[in-house]
Formats: sequence, structure tokens, C-alpha cells
Amino acid sequence: MNKELEHSFVELLQKHQNIVHKVCRLYTNNADAHNDLFQEITIQLWRAYPKFRGEAKFSTWMYRVGLNTAITLYRKSKRRIKTQEFDAVEYKIKAEDYDDTEEQQLKLLYQAVQQLNDIEKALVFLYLEDKDYREISATLGISEVNARVKMNRVKKKLRTILNP
Amino acid sequence: MDELELLKKDWNSDTAKFKNYSDSDIYPMLHKKSSSIVKTLFYISIAELGFWLLAGILPYFLSSSFKAKLETSYENPLFLGINIFSYLVIILFIILLYNSYKAISTTDSAKKLMESILKTRKVIKYYVFFNLTLIFLSIPLSIYFEYIENPEFHQQIVEASTKQMLILYLFAVLVAGVILVILWLFYRLIYGVLLKRLNRNYDELKKLEI
Repeated sequence: MNKELEHSFVELLQKHQNIVHKVCRLYTNNADAHNDLFQEITIQLWRAYPKFRGEAKFSTWMYRVGLNTAITLYRKSKRRIKTQEFDAVEYKIKAEDYDDTEEQQLKLLYQAVQQLNDIEKALVFLYLEDKDYREISATLGISEVNARVKMNRVKKKLRTILNP
Repeated sequence: MDELELLKKDWNSDTAKFKNYSDSDIYPMLHKKSSSIVKTLFYISIAELGFWLLAGILPYFLSSSFKAKLETSYENPLFLGINIFSYLVIILFIILLYNSYKAISTTDSAKKLMESILKTRKVIKYYVFFNLTLIFLSIPLSIYFEYIENPEFHQQIVEASTKQMLILYLFAVLVAGVILVILWLFYRLIYGVLLKRLNRNYDELKKLEI
């Protein structure tokens, strides 16, 4: 039974692993930290999995556990290997697919997002994942109105970071 | 154009560049050790419980004169009462701690999860407060017991001048104060470091609700 559970979990996680990668991308800035956080989110997902009964989509459930791990549970201090920080541009598949100005703009945007605090990043993350305010408010535990207000503030803050 | 819209376009278009873990990469990950703060908090509470239990039990086994003294002290109903009470508190503490750990769920909302963790932390805090209060009370109480049961000490107290009595009181308060400050600093350090990020994020979420 346990093997079966493990198998179904690994299969689902394998399929949806990009969600975890995206959380890691937002909350870490080097490859080691990324892998560490990925590892921790995987553990937390696996622990919570027996209680997952399919009432929500697996991906929706992953957003919650993933963000909770990144914001609340994860301790960064485990390993402190100095590695070069990612340059936002490294995330591109092929640089030539983009024109220079847009690429430059995106690079600055990713850098600006990195400067936000944990909660603001969570809002941006859910927004980028196309979640509506109802889901954002349920994931973070704040009211829908406050989620909306906060999102507008985040947008404003990003604009200020980009155009000081 | 909205900056985030541009980001969203890119965000959803470049997923392919992440490392793609295979099933065989993921399997071993499931059995690695977690480094979550809940686990650390759990270890701290076990250590805390163990420390106070040992502090209460160990002297009984280590020193035979202390053992003999304790056995006579147990004849005193007040001393016995305090001891029974402190063991009841330990049982209560274990029950509360167990319940608050059980309430921590990663599938709750971020705010709820943080609240459950902070509640667990509070249970530990109250237990520490209880023990500190007990230490504070035990100093004058042990002097009192000594006064009643040790005829030599009794005689010394009776013959002591006001000045000597004052020094005795001051000494007792000083010892209690030093213990308290050291413990307080110790706890500030442990929980301050461990829960710094959680507290900051919780404050941020709370701020939104005002």
C-alpha cells in the first residue's frame, strides 16, 4: 500500500515539478539554495500527501504546500556554499528569441521581484500563475479585498524599484 | 504596459529550462531529512522537557545526602504538594504540546500555519515561565524548609543580625536574578534566530488585516 502511495505521489510530482521549481526560483538566488528548497518542498509534500484526498487539484494543493514551505518552514542556514548568484538572464532558453529591449526589461523585472519580501513574492507568484483573488486570499489566509489592495501596492512597489 | 504582464508572458513561456527530475531522482528525496523549523521546534521542546525533568530527578540519584534530605522534605505537605503539582503541569504541558504539534498543517493557509507554529512556541514559553517561577519560589522556600528542619541553620538565623539577614535575602535575590537573565538571553537567542523570518512574515500578513 505504502509503495503504491509512493509511486502515485512520485508520478504526480514528476509531472507537476515545474510548480516547485518556480517557487524555488522566486525564493532563492543560487543553484544550491534552489535544490535545497526543492528537496524540502518535496519532503513536505510527501508528508502531507496521505491527507490529500483529491478535493482540490493536485497542482492547487502543491501551490499551498510549496509556498508554505518557502515562506514559513524552510530554514536557509543548512548549507552555506558560496556560489555565484543567478543572473536573471540565465533563465532564458535562447536569448536570440527576444529583442534586446524586452530582454533587458525582463532582466530588470526579475531583479526587482527578487527585492520584494516573502509575502509580496507569494502574491506575485500566484498572480503569475494566473490565480484569481479568491485563491490568493485562501492560500495566504487574508481577505480577498486585502489581497487585491496588497497586489496593487506590490505593482506600485515594483514600478518604484524599476523607475527610482 | 503593466510590468507584471510582461513578466507573466515570460514566466509561462520558459518552463522548459528547469532541470527535469526523473522518478528515480525524486524517490530518494522523499526519505531525506527535513530541515524545517517545525522539526527544530520539536527537538527544542523535547530537550526542554528533558532538561527540566532531569533537573528535578537527577540530584535525587546523584547525592545520597540530598536524597535523604528530600525524603524528609516529602513529609512536609507543602513540599509534596508543590512536587505533585509540578508533575501535573508536565503532563498538561505534554498534552498541550502534542495537540499544538498535531494542529500544524502545511495544507492550511500561510497565516493559519504561522499561527499554529507560534501557538506551539507559546506552549513552550509558558512551560519555561512556569519553571522559572518555580525556581524563584523554591529559593525562599528552601531557605524556609532549611530553617524548619535544620536546627543548626535555625539557630544561626535566630542569632543573625538584621544586616546578616539582609545579606542573605540579597544573595537569594541575586542568584535568582542571574539565573533568570541567563535563561532569558538563551531563549531569546534560540527562538529569535529560529523564528525571525516567521515572525517577520506573520507581521506582514497581520498588517494587511488592519
